[in-house]
Amino acid sequence: MSLKLKLPTIIAGAAIVTSMLAMSVGLIGAASAAPFKLGMAIGGEPSQDWQKAQGEVAAALAKQRGWEYVELSNNADPAVTTKNADIFIQDKVNAVIEFNGSPAVNPVIAAKFAAAKIPEVTYDIAQKGFYFVGIDNQAAGLAGGEALGNIAKTKWNCDVDLVISSEGQGAGIVNTWRTGGMRDGIKKVCPDIPADKWVSMEGGGQVAVALPAGRDLLAAHPDAKKILVVGINDSSVLGVLQAAEQLGRADNIIGWGQDGSFITGPNVDPHLAGSVFYFLEGYAVYALRDVIDPIAAGNAPPVKDDPGNPASKVQPCPVSAAAAAKIPDMAGRVTALLAAPKGTTEYDLFCPKA
Amino acid sequence: MSDAATTRPMPVGRKVLLTANLPAGWGTASLVAGAWLLLVLASAVHRADFLSYQTLLAVAFTMAIVGVLAVAQALVGMSGAILDLSQPTALTLAGAVVCQLLGMGWPIPIVLVAGILVGAAWGLFNATIIVVGKLNPIIVTLATNFIGTAVMFLIFQHIQAPIASPVVAWGQGNFLGLPNIWWPMVALVLIVGFLLPRTAYGRHAIAVGGSRFAAQARGISLKKTRFAIFISSGAIVGLASIMFAASNGPFAPSAGTTFQLPVIAGVILAGVSLAGGRGSIWLILLSVGFLSTVPTSLVFFGLSSNWQAVFQGFILIVAVSIDGWRARRLQR
Repeated sequence: MSLKLKLPTIIAGAAIVTSMLAMSVGLIGAASAAPFKLGMAIGGEPSQDWQKAQGEVAAALAKQRGWEYVELSNNADPAVTTKNADIFIQDKVNAVIEFNGSPAVNPVIAAKFAAAKIPEVTYDIAQKGFYFVGIDNQAAGLAGGEALGNIAKTKWNCDVDLVISSEGQGAGIVNTWRTGGMRDGIKKVCPDIPADKWVSMEGGGQVAVALPAGRDLLAAHPDAKKILVVGINDSSVLGVLQAAEQLGRADNIIGWGQDGSFITGPNVDPHLAGSVFYFLEGYAVYALRDVIDPIAAGNAPPVKDDPGNPASKVQPCPVSAAAAAKIPDMAGRVTALLAAPKGTTEYDLFCPKA
Repeated sequence: MSDAATTRPMPVGRKVLLTANLPAGWGTASLVAGAWLLLVLASAVHRADFLSYQTLLAVAFTMAIVGVLAVAQALVGMSGAILDLSQPTALTLAGAVVCQLLGMGWPIPIVLVAGILVGAAWGLFNATIIVVGKLNPIIVTLATNFIGTAVMFLIFQHIQAPIASPVVAWGQGNFLGLPNIWWPMVALVLIVGFLLPRTAYGRHAIAVGGSRFAAQARGISLKKTRFAIFISSGAIVGLASIMFAASNGPFAPSAGTTFQLPVIAGVILAGVSLAGGRGSIWLILLSVGFLSTVPTSLVFFGLSSNWQAVFQGFILIVAVSIDGWRARRLQR
């Protein structure tokens, strides 16, 4: 028996078979739900290695959960940050975590994500409608200031000649919280330091800026001997300590930094008494534990976008130079964090308990 | 792209050589010295403790690295290549190598030579692109500065010399009451200032900067001169990088940018013509001394350090205006 089929019949038959196959694949796909897709926009400021590490930790935690993970870099650029929001929306991610150092574009991004109904977590920089996960910068400043104040009280009975604030005004309110918080912390322990003993300079958050500015400031206070130094980060404090060394006035100068960048390792300045760790690289633990995991489970928590009442609060960890010697470097901390039980933070693992 | 700085019509070589000698610089010297003296007097009247050893130390430390970089920049400017905008990258790149080698325990003499060689190699890299590609030096060095800094960021975020290293102790210490790192700067200014008009290298550089065509007519190779200038200028930046690594503590790849404005201002204020062919290295001591005193004075006047960039920018504009006025006067 011979079967004679004409071309139109063959095409029609093929179309029917193809459609049936496509429908069955679609049904199968619908039956097994697509994995949760997490978007992460890292800060992208090259001098801040913790920003890159924030992405590495988020990627590892997403992988542990079997999620899809999409990472973009904001390149510390507002235009790129805005474009990244569009890419996440096109990619249909289920939630986004962002460190955005250009907060001016946050309202634009917030409007885009709200329209796309994509929940967003923001690290450290608050935006209405975004879950806030971050450090309490004022608490971090207070903790560091109190620690330094206690040293001044023990060593000099609070009788200090000069308190230098090495500001980082480019950081805006964060500088006010941290550096101002440190001043408040010192005042809490040493309330009687006269107002004319408090001076400020622009340290720019880096040694290369704080060092010459610190030299000039110290030269303008030639009689000051017992000196305290606070600042927005370790670098800005270190610059002033180096300046004192160069002017031969390092015998009685004590600094306390913020961010823990230069308080570990073999090259700690002997006049840097301590720093406040935030363990920035490990923020994803807080974000996933308190926000993203519930969203993935279908129980989205209420949006808490106020740093005073955050979705997840990162605890600051003031550490003396002696105690910091026992804290591993960032790579070591990340390794330990990823090996720890789910939900464990770096604060739990590494912050010395009083 | 052609090198605009070297294709403009200029007076004959003999005139160019004459204007490179000191007499033409006396006016500039008096102007800068007068401004410096006025600044010191005004600061001292405002606050008598301005005239202290602490102020002297602060100004001398600030002068040291800026002065060395200004000598390197002046060589580039005098040779008609306008400016080397990649100095910040060369400084931190060579400084990073110095820190790394010190950290690995290499013998100090080898580390110091390595720092200078890395600077020279960076100059060779720039010169090769400029000469082979026949490109404008200012554009090339602007580009290599971006590239270099970006590549360094891919490799490290911060680096510092071991604080126990004798190099760091030297960088923080004093000799005869002034910073150790101040003395190499003074020696360099004096030596280069003396040798420049008295060696074939210096005369060729000034001649090429004054008039490329007149120099070529006298048998001076533009290519060889450009290589020689960029390599030697890079080596001098390498010297600055050792001083930087010794005295700065930890630094990021972008840290060198803080020197760019005072260095360029110092070179122009010293009377080095951006059009090439003219300038005195010795005057750098005055111009850099004046510019390094400005930020210290501002603090004594109670102004924030943010004003420093405002004043330096303003001085730069004044200096460029004077340079333009001088160039127009010469052409007449």
